[in-house]
Amino acid sequence: MNRLSLTLSRGVDQVTGVALGPYQSAVIRIGFAGTWLLFLLREFPHRHELYGPTGPWGWNLAKQLTADNQAFTVLLWSHGRLWFELCYVLAVLASAALVLGWRTRTASLLFMVGVLSLQNRSVFVGDGGDNVLHLMSIYLVFTRCGQVWSLDARRAAHAAAARARGERVPADLAGPALWAVLGLALVIAMGTGRFDNGWQIPVLLWTAWAGLGLWWAVGRWTARQGPRLLLDVIANVLHNGALAVIMAEACLIYATAGWYKVQGSRWQDGTAVYYPLHLDYFSPWPGLADLMSSSGTIMMIVTYGTVAVQVAFPFTLFNRRVKNVLLVVMMAEHTVIAVVLGLPFFSLAMIAADAVFLPTSFLRRLGDLAGRARGRLARSPGRAVPAPRPKEESTADHVGFTA
Amino acid sequence: MDAYDEDSREPQAPDGPAGTRLPDQPPRPAPPPAATPEPPTPVSPPEPPAPVPPPGPRAVVTWPGARADLPAPGPHAGTADTGPRTNGPASEPRAGITGAGPRTGGPAPGPHAGAVGPGAASRPGQAVPRPRTGVAALSPGYQVVAALALAVIAVVACVHLLMVFFSLAPSNTVTKQHGKAIEEWVYPEFEQNWKLFAPNPLQQNIAVQVRAEVRMRDGGLLTTAWTDLSAQDGAAIDGNPAPSHTQQNELRRAWDFFSATHGADNRAIGLRGSLSEQYLRRIVVMRLYRSDPASRIGVIQRVQVRSSTTNVQPPSWSRERVSDKPVYRLLPWWSVTPDEAAGGVR
Repeated sequence: MNRLSLTLSRGVDQVTGVALGPYQSAVIRIGFAGTWLLFLLREFPHRHELYGPTGPWGWNLAKQLTADNQAFTVLLWSHGRLWFELCYVLAVLASAALVLGWRTRTASLLFMVGVLSLQNRSVFVGDGGDNVLHLMSIYLVFTRCGQVWSLDARRAAHAAAARARGERVPADLAGPALWAVLGLALVIAMGTGRFDNGWQIPVLLWTAWAGLGLWWAVGRWTARQGPRLLLDVIANVLHNGALAVIMAEACLIYATAGWYKVQGSRWQDGTAVYYPLHLDYFSPWPGLADLMSSSGTIMMIVTYGTVAVQVAFPFTLFNRRVKNVLLVVMMAEHTVIAVVLGLPFFSLAMIAADAVFLPTSFLRRLGDLAGRARGRLARSPGRAVPAPRPKEESTADHVGFTA
Repeated sequence: MDAYDEDSREPQAPDGPAGTRLPDQPPRPAPPPAATPEPPTPVSPPEPPAPVPPPGPRAVVTWPGARADLPAPGPHAGTADTGPRTNGPASEPRAGITGAGPRTGGPAPGPHAGAVGPGAASRPGQAVPRPRTGVAALSPGYQVVAALALAVIAVVACVHLLMVFFSLAPSNTVTKQHGKAIEEWVYPEFEQNWKLFAPNPLQQNIAVQVRAEVRMRDGGLLTTAWTDLSAQDGAAIDGNPAPSHTQQNELRRAWDFFSATHGADNRAIGLRGSLSEQYLRRIVVMRLYRSDPASRIGVIQRVQVRSSTTNVQPPSWSRERVSDKPVYRLLPWWSVTPDEAAGGVR
């Protein structure tokens, strides 16, 4: 009994005291936002056809559907072309800001608005990859995903270092300015009745905005520790809850995909993988597909292997080594899918989702590598040589900032 | 869930579970972990002003190890999420997660040099013992709020996952009873479908083909031959490392949408049926104006769509035989609205 309560209180300490998985949350932030950024850039020439007011899924059609299903999209707030272009560019910028971890929480909110707006504007052009990004963009809002590998982390570190040297750190102006602009946007949207279609996302936006304001105000004006600690605890709990949901969501994806396949006759007779490879819409490299499906034995192994891995994955989380092996297998399979079925963005999104399960040690090494690669780039001839870093900054523990 | 690979064998921070360590404490002989929890009484009203770290040199050594975990949000509204914890090695003390023991020279002194918000500059060097984090660090009043928040968030997360689970599961006793509640929770923003190529992958190529009645400049009406729009998509996808959604999804999913919202008699079912009809028509008209020579010089009056379904031929190593004859589904002629006819769809 005593041990139980001890474990329990340790658990509570853990989920309230720390935002767990800083590297995992950073890698999925970069993964999902990066995937969406690449997608938006790839579709830039086709943006009008996919999401614009005069595209085949016309403004009126989308308006009727969203009135029916209450999906959130800012693209239907105005019929104008300028509004559409503005939103698209903002969606691109928000993704870029989130990849870099610039004002991460705000960026994640704008990223979510961008993803939901574009996808809900034209639901019938999306695929599984869009679906993953749709969900994850919402979950990311609740995480503290900028703890490492972000501009925010770097700025905080610089400020901390300056304070440690006894220098005065100038007050941050960009944050409050950004907050004020967003507040104005929310007020205008609310005042002009743009939030009348569905309440969840507007409530989320308002709550997040109020939370950011509160966070700032408490940090700025309250001398007492209590309120700060409380906000910190709430932020940690939200983060940890969201991270758990993200991991569970990834498991649900694999479990659903796997368990439904078990019932299919083609998955049972070992030919299932052959068929997608020979659909006109999913065969960018027919020669490669033919090569892969030239042997019935190989097809059967891949078919059974796919089902086995998908069904097994959630259970392997209980064993670290098996889980890591499966992660490698699944990421490899998604890489193959990216090429062979012509689904690069779907695959990237799935790999990003898988990445939430990567081991911390691996992620730190990865960050270290990236940091060193960047260092070499920066030192290449023709560029200014950066001032030597203080010694302690070059320890492995600093991967976070250098990557 | 052993999702994170922290190496549990790695030496733990001396003072117990991650997140409870007080980085500014001198490396005391490890207090038994049991000492950590005891909730209400412990830390808050600060322990007697701990050894004041000499400001100067210490401050310099500090920050690498300094765990900026005082919730001391700087005045940056936009950065709340990185919050106080962003100071890098800051993530250190989370032994459990980062797998890092106290290796930056252990508990760094003079901690909150790097941690305290704007006020810090005005009182440099002043040392208050760093409180613990988590609920244990809160005063009883705040603890109630924190516990409440924890409970609410935990419940919402669990309910959410349950709802998503039931929306994905096959129809069962629970979903039959509470289908409405599940739908209301999940739709529209958490809708998902992961039956990827399941239970069976699609084994037919479904091509959408169209022909048009075009008013030519001389006033005559011309009926074009069938154009295979899906074949155009397929050609655009061939050799393309990153096919566009316009090539891979637009027409394919428009047809799925159409056939899902129409009966066998091609009559629209509900609002979605009529929307899907307009959508399909707008796509084919747009594409005809782009690629069909006659349509490019005339004005499209009516269009007719048909689908052509062909079995994917079984692999050569299989003894199965299926027909290779396409099966057609012919839709009625549709009149094109003036807006669509004028090339309003782009």
